[in-house]
Amino acid sequence: MDSWAHYLDQVLFAVLPYVAVFTLILVTIQRYRAQRFSYSSLSSQFLENRQHFWGLVPFHYGILTIIAGHVVAFLIPREILAWNSHPLRLYILELSALVFALMTLIGLLAGMVRRWTNPKIRIVTSASDWIIYLLLFVQIVSGIYVAVFYPWGSSWFSTSAAPYLWSLVKLNPDVSFVASMPHMVKLHIINAFLLIGFFPFTRLVHILVIPNPYLWRKPQVVRWYGKPKETAGGGA
Amino acid sequence: MTVEVTRKVSFGGRLLVRLAGFACLTLDSMPLQAQETAEYFKRNCANCHTIGGGRLVGPDLKNVGQRKDKEWLTRFLLNPKAVMDSGDAYAGRLFQDSRGVLMPTAPDISAERADNLLVLIEAESKLERSQFAGALTAIPDRPFTEQEMEHGRLLFVGLKPLANGGAACLSCHSVQGASILGGGQLGPDLTAVWNKLQGRKGLAAWLSSPPTPTMQPVYKNHPLDSQEILELVAYLESAKDERETSSVARFNFFLLGLAGTAGGFVLFDFVWRRRFRAVRRDLVHAGEESEDT
Repeated sequence: MDSWAHYLDQVLFAVLPYVAVFTLILVTIQRYRAQRFSYSSLSSQFLENRQHFWGLVPFHYGILTIIAGHVVAFLIPREILAWNSHPLRLYILELSALVFALMTLIGLLAGMVRRWTNPKIRIVTSASDWIIYLLLFVQIVSGIYVAVFYPWGSSWFSTSAAPYLWSLVKLNPDVSFVASMPHMVKLHIINAFLLIGFFPFTRLVHILVIPNPYLWRKPQVVRWYGKPKETAGGGA
Repeated sequence: MTVEVTRKVSFGGRLLVRLAGFACLTLDSMPLQAQETAEYFKRNCANCHTIGGGRLVGPDLKNVGQRKDKEWLTRFLLNPKAVMDSGDAYAGRLFQDSRGVLMPTAPDISAERADNLLVLIEAESKLERSQFAGALTAIPDRPFTEQEMEHGRLLFVGLKPLANGGAACLSCHSVQGASILGGGQLGPDLTAVWNKLQGRKGLAAWLSSPPTPTMQPVYKNHPLDSQEILELVAYLESAKDERETSSVARFNFFLLGLAGTAGGFVLFDFVWRRRFRAVRRDLVHAGEESEDT
């Protein structure tokens, strides 16, 4: 029984990560070569834009902050521990992370409800969209569960998850850091690798083609013919 | 020609040296293995057991081979929980004597390693004084000072950093009254750990090399020093009669999170108050109005 669990841990935490990352790299390149114009999130804002706002905005602000937090804790774990050495600072960090995570969850749920209930949107929703919704849902719910029931994750991520992830980077996986973690933590890690592996098959590829140069390009002058109010009546 | 011979001799010499070295290695492998097993015992077993030094968290292992047979001991070493779950009466008694602390499965344990450990324990039991007769960290019997307890609390919450760079206990553990929103909950609440590990000696031995599978990899390279162990034991002893922390802190944390999220939504609505809502809806609306007039 125990050797079976040991074997499973090896497969899930030492093999799956590499399978996921290789799938990500190879399929991303292959898809870009074969179907370049499929690199899009296929926006449905044109079909419905009121509910869309309440899904899109909180989800993206939430998930970008949360992912950035994970990356920072991976890159500078010791500095995170130093920050957390004052309980008040630890609470501020944990609470901010929880707020952004809840925003992400509510945003995702708003998006799912919109896709299910609006007939126009439902037609343009593919099976891969539903799979990605499901994976993201599992990821966010397990993350929030871990944050609430196994605090303080920002500290123990630095001592346990970061060394595990670095051991993967160094091609010498050390699963001892995660093998004895609670099931929800394990689910969060495994599901993250599934998301990475599934990434290139889905609309998530839009992450790779965000028009980032918009952030630093020179300002463009937009001239309106007449006052903006009048354009709605038939100007543009 | 002379050069040729010298070369040949030196080649033969080197070969001989290598062979001799190999032989030495083979002969030396027994003590090496015993040394490795002793090192393993020190790292993974001595935090709860002595050999002839009395009980810590777990029983004194002197002459353990006379109390149970080798087959049982090996089975228990390989998976204490499985033997316990099988309803074994002796394992049940051990569990009771340890006040509900179940022996964790030792890391990288194998039948061969278990065998080596039993050989080591038997050999050490025969000595007048085993190298494992004393606890790893000596803790005085005198009452702890206020300062030691306070330093222990600071170490626990992280305000005083651990010398070897280990993470503060609060990351994963809670103690009643340690901090406002409570401590971590990845590991157990430590309010009553002093009682559970049967006092100073047991707790200090545990801290000198934490044996649980979650803590071991984390503190393997960042061990606590003896002064830190003393101060932490002092702090945990001062907290031993408090009630364990409740889940109110966790609930408050979640409520604060929800409140923050609601605030975020209000902010989004405000920042994008002039967002583009739709051309067509406005057109239809305008058309309806013009029809009315």
